[in-house]
Amino acid sequence: MSVRPIALQQAASPLHDRPTARRLLDFDWILLIATVLLIGYGLVMGYSITIEDRTFSGDVGQQMLRGVLYAVIGVSAMAIVALVDYAWLGTFAPVFYLLTLALLVAVLFGGQSTLGATRWYTVAGFKFQPGEFAKVFMVIVLAKWFADRDARSPLTLIGGLAILAVPVGLVFKQPDLGTSLVFLGMFVGMAFVAGARLWQLTAILAGAAAVMPVVWGVLKDYQRARLTVFLDPYSDPQGAGWNIIQSLIAVGSGSLTGKGLTAGTQSPLGYLPISESDFVFAGLAEDLGFVGAATLFALYVALLLSALRIAYRSRDAFGSYLAGGVAAMLGFQIVVNVGMAISLMPVTGIPLPFISQGGSSLISICFALGALQAISMRREQKAVA
Amino acid sequence: MSGRDVRVFVHPRRLAALALAMVGVFVVLGVRLWDLQVVQGAHYRELAEQNRVVRLPVLASRGVVYDRTGRLLARNDPGFAVNVLPVDVPRAREAELASRLAPLVERGAEEILKAIGDQRVRNPYEPVKVSARPVPRDVALLLVERAEMYPGVRVSGEAMRSYVDGPLYAPLLGYVGPIDEEEFSERKDAGYLLRDTIGKTGLEWQYERYLRGTLGWREIERDASLRELRTLALVPPKPGNDLVLTIDDRLQKLISDELERGVREDRFTQAVGIAMNPQNGEILAMVSIPAYDNNAFIQGVSNAQMRAWNSDDRHPLVNKAIGDIYPPGSTFKMVTGLSALSTGVATRNTVVNVNTNVLVVDGWKFYDWRVHGALDFVNGFAHSSDIYFYTLGGGNPYSGQRGAGPEALAKYGRMLGFGTPTGIDLPGEASGIMPDPTWKLTTFDEPWTLGNTYHASIGQGFVAVTPLQLLNAYASVANGGTVYRPHVLKEVRGTDGTVVAAPAPQVARKLDMRQEDLRLIREAARRVVTVGHAYMPNAKLPIAGKTGTAEFGESQGVDAAGRQRLGFHNWFVSFLPKEDNADPTAEIAMVLFTFDSSRSVCDVCFNPAVALTQRILEAYRGGDGKVGVP
Repeated sequence: MSVRPIALQQAASPLHDRPTARRLLDFDWILLIATVLLIGYGLVMGYSITIEDRTFSGDVGQQMLRGVLYAVIGVSAMAIVALVDYAWLGTFAPVFYLLTLALLVAVLFGGQSTLGATRWYTVAGFKFQPGEFAKVFMVIVLAKWFADRDARSPLTLIGGLAILAVPVGLVFKQPDLGTSLVFLGMFVGMAFVAGARLWQLTAILAGAAAVMPVVWGVLKDYQRARLTVFLDPYSDPQGAGWNIIQSLIAVGSGSLTGKGLTAGTQSPLGYLPISESDFVFAGLAEDLGFVGAATLFALYVALLLSALRIAYRSRDAFGSYLAGGVAAMLGFQIVVNVGMAISLMPVTGIPLPFISQGGSSLISICFALGALQAISMRREQKAVA
Repeated sequence: MSGRDVRVFVHPRRLAALALAMVGVFVVLGVRLWDLQVVQGAHYRELAEQNRVVRLPVLASRGVVYDRTGRLLARNDPGFAVNVLPVDVPRAREAELASRLAPLVERGAEEILKAIGDQRVRNPYEPVKVSARPVPRDVALLLVERAEMYPGVRVSGEAMRSYVDGPLYAPLLGYVGPIDEEEFSERKDAGYLLRDTIGKTGLEWQYERYLRGTLGWREIERDASLRELRTLALVPPKPGNDLVLTIDDRLQKLISDELERGVREDRFTQAVGIAMNPQNGEILAMVSIPAYDNNAFIQGVSNAQMRAWNSDDRHPLVNKAIGDIYPPGSTFKMVTGLSALSTGVATRNTVVNVNTNVLVVDGWKFYDWRVHGALDFVNGFAHSSDIYFYTLGGGNPYSGQRGAGPEALAKYGRMLGFGTPTGIDLPGEASGIMPDPTWKLTTFDEPWTLGNTYHASIGQGFVAVTPLQLLNAYASVANGGTVYRPHVLKEVRGTDGTVVAAPAPQVARKLDMRQEDLRLIREAARRVVTVGHAYMPNAKLPIAGKTGTAEFGESQGVDAAGRQRLGFHNWFVSFLPKEDNADPTAEIAMVLFTFDSSRSVCDVCFNPAVALTQRILEAYRGGDGKVGVP
């Protein structure tokens, strides 16, 4: 009577998807609502910061239209990915990997630079940052890698690291220290979710710590300064500490309820560097205060916990690790970006999901969340019940 | 069903741990945010305001200076100052900034670096001026347009003081310059800034309080690259008040032109001319030659120029009208005469028979410049007989006449203002020397001799006066006995033309002398001219006065200008009675002092000051005989 069910095998195949009607009912509504609210929040902040920026010379309406356009593209991408069985993503994992490498190599040779880093190129008038897509693609690649192997084997971990090493190296070369760190954080998170032995994970972290002096030697001076100055920003208030101090002033001066949308003074006056991206959180905390920041945190927590719940309910290992990887990636970025703004973390150029302005970040995240919805819609009902 | 078993790929505890970790991290972030925003919110809000809003001082424009007729003597020309706000200069870029600014403001990079460094310690939120003198417009524009290359640099309008006639008024006006450390530490509570300008000497120093005005403040909002976005508040500065001097520019130029011509024609090497109104102490003109160009101090005077001025034996930086002392020579016979008249040892009828040109006392010989014969007071004064005044001052052992004595000379000399500053409203006034036996004993530890009295009686020996003291003494006699404190400030006017202050004439003291004695001096002084001792051909004005020759200094070698030095110096101190009488109504008195003038034994023939006085006063009065100051 105890016939080993083969449903699992079937379900894991993209050729055996379930009927659409039932799938739609299993949509993760909390994740969807959190996503939509966060996208809306990002649009509102984009508006506020654009209005506040008195040095902004472009058309505010056009700027907003661009933001809305990114949101529409992002939501569409999310819907499409959600409707397709995510198993296809696993099937095409090698393609995603090669695509990632191609994009990163292309940006190194044909990309455009800002502030000494080559991170983007222009496609049809839009800035395209391959690093943002690379993060999502590598989540897929690594999820597939861990799903097909025994995560408790050190070979799996070493192999995964080897796969990761190439894109990390390419991103580091841009140089984009922040994205490199996101890759590593993401990898550790995924290995943890996949069940890698803790001592092996500890060994990896120890190894990372061991190569730190080497990395330190490779770093550019400004990167080193940014990495250490957060410990005492007032040691160089006019130099490396400037960004952090100004960010702290922006956050602190927001007080409980903030100065009001478009009423902030730190980011519009240019005291906040890269206020629309790296230090966007400081602008948000200044405009909307603790209340606004706490609301943002609540939305993030809802999103992240939904992602973990999807990982828990997933019908297969690939879906579970994919969801866990997306949660780790987003969580890592949020913590590092916010931590930077309030001087708990070193300054690294990592965008804040949804809030930082930029199409690549938003669209790639929507893509990943679409995959999460796909996993949710194809979850194993009984296992959860 | 073994659904759970087959789902070995899911590790619920790990997912739970991850969820817990994430929530934990957000709690940490939330607590930190609470601390920053709610607990320390007010503090950071203040910092944000400070960031955004800067309070900048706005300098008040300095008052200008007019003569009594409304002619501009000192004005402000537009220029630019270069300032650095240390708080806006990253330390790492300090040296780079200093070396970039150095050629533009024509100062050394180290100097600029030090100025910024010092100000960083003092108050980094206040700009420090790094340009020693105003920079031209194109430099100012460059600094503004390439702001990113010059962090913390601010360019402000800075009026450049300009002295219309340069050396003509330099001894009077002085000049302004950048405040120095000592001046600043004394005045920082009085609203002075480190990059301030302050009156250094002359009237600019004397009336700094009127000229300066009051600082204003401007609160500006700025962005992080320190561009001013808008002015939030403006407390406008109160411009300094204008000075109207008692000086009459026309007379000043008349005197200066005549004296300059005398120097050019090598009739003397240095000269002083002062004119005043004896009725109220107003100085109408004050000329000191050679002088310096006070505009040079505004442009930034070179060390070489400064050395040259300091080592020049003609003392161009000194206002010789008040700052140098000279023997008054025969002009001092007025003091001797008044002492003798006041003590009663002489009257207008006292006759001394000058039948020799030398008075021998105890083997010492005291000369007169000629044998005069019998002289009464008026003629003794008019012909400037030395022996007549030796007798009035120290007595005459041959005729048995008594003299006034050294104590009386000192007493009446001091009453007339000798030996103490007149109190004019100018810095650097000398006291002069009015000697008496006590003074000689304390100064030289030697007893007074009759010879000392004789020398003092004719304004030689120890007696030393400033030209202004001499003029003021004669003015007090000319006005009937009132010693005024001379002054050059007529009134202080606000920018709207209202009179803010108008100092009343100040009486230093009244002469304790008989009016008839003063009248006798005036009569005798007029006789000096009418007998031809002070020869004034075709005189159009009833000028009265007294000549004097002071003998001191070397008569060999050349001075700094290469002119022959002569130890003879001529005085003519005069006043202009309304009519040809001796009433105390004169409204103009003048002293001319010509240094290194003609080598002469008689002080009539070649005293250049006499002819100059006639020319100047006739030109000033237009020869119409009308007296009175415009």
